Amino acid sequence: MEHTRKNFLKNFLIGSASVPLILAACKKDAVTETGTTTGSDTSTGSCTVTATETAGPFPTITPSSLVRSDIRLDRTGVAFTINITIKNKNNNCAALSGALVDIWHCDKDGYYSEYGGTSMQAVNYTAVHFLRGRQVTDANGLVTFTSIFPGWYQGRATHIHTHIYNAAGTSLLISQISFPEGSSSAVALVNSSTANGYTKGMTGYTYNSSDDVFKDDTAGAQTGTVTGSISAGYALAVTLYVAA
Amino acid sequence: MPKRTIRLCYRKIIDVSSQKTWDKYVFESTYAEFLLQVQFYNQGKKYNSFAEVLLNTPAAEKLHFLVSAAVTGYLQQLGGRLPDITDNLGKHSLTFKNYRFEIVNSDIKNKASHQVAINFFSEPLTWHETIGNYLLVSDPDNEKQDDNIFTSLVQLQPFLSICSLKEETI
Repeated sequence: MEHTRKNFLKNFLIGSASVPLILAACKKDAVTETGTTTGSDTSTGSCTVTATETAGPFPTITPSSLVRSDIRLDRTGVAFTINITIKNKNNNCAALSGALVDIWHCDKDGYYSEYGGTSMQAVNYTAVHFLRGRQVTDANGLVTFTSIFPGWYQGRATHIHTHIYNAAGTSLLISQISFPEGSSSAVALVNSSTANGYTKGMTGYTYNSSDDVFKDDTAGAQTGTVTGSISAGYALAVTLYVAA
Repeated sequence: MPKRTIRLCYRKIIDVSSQKTWDKYVFESTYAEFLLQVQFYNQGKKYNSFAEVLLNTPAAEKLHFLVSAAVTGYLQQLGGRLPDITDNLGKHSLTFKNYRFEIVNSDIKNKASHQVAINFFSEPLTWHETIGNYLLVSDPDNEKQDDNIFTSLVQLQPFLSICSLKEETI
């Protein structure tokens, strides 16, 4: 009996002590932006001055910065337009609309946008994701990107990475697009174009037939069609087939 | 006395319990981007957690960078002012241009375990004095007017640290 009473008192005390806390928590001030609260709800423990400023900024839902057609940001080089058409093998190879197409490629010097090695290295948020983009296919299954002609790096032929998702975001295809070769090809001409900042030429270049990714593609199914000139810029067109 | 220039860094953790609107948007956007991008490193969906993907595919380390694309637009909304950390007048006087995004934890099957961190690096500050738990700092580009230096007091607190220091003898 005594035991029960103790428990009752204990519960009552806990209960009554909790009431003001709950009330305090319901007050608007307590749940809005008071001092420093972190996501894991560990209040900083220290007592800081509550922000007292004109309201704002007002957050709005913003798409990923990858969602853009012009993917150049601060990168320079020969003008390059990328046209990718997505067709559906499961629907008589009809155009697939509403698919997400991610692409990424290296800059004229062969570098990708990415974080450096040290974990404390900071990046400026305005220029960090260069030469990466995402578009949604139109009724003709087409997406278009404005970019610069990619350079190359040791061990790989010139290429563009693609990742295609259905409208719900499920991965359909991860692939790479290769480029036509030859002495008058865009790859040969652009990489010799020192006026546009390309410095590597073709010495040490890995051709498609030696490239680990493309050497089995003897029919050139992954190779885009490239048209244009150094002065007018080049355009690449390719059709990729997915099972959606 | 040498002139000391510091950068403050603020590690802002965002997870399912985050309350502010901006934080909630970042939570949703980064989880959606994670679900898209992790598929490249987790083909066949063999693993559920980010930790497992990372353990089995070390290249998945790039996901920190790749998923950060979902944050860029939200950073721009901050107008260059470091969030949450106010000076002792209650103003957001610290500014930033640089950041680094991290996925702390995530899981393709369990959104509630998604947790990210944004490390904000302040623009350089001249550190004049430490008063109690406060740093007396000023903007090195905008220091003197009629021999007065315009300063602010920033309190040391958890998740706020000095992450770089430059000393110059004057």
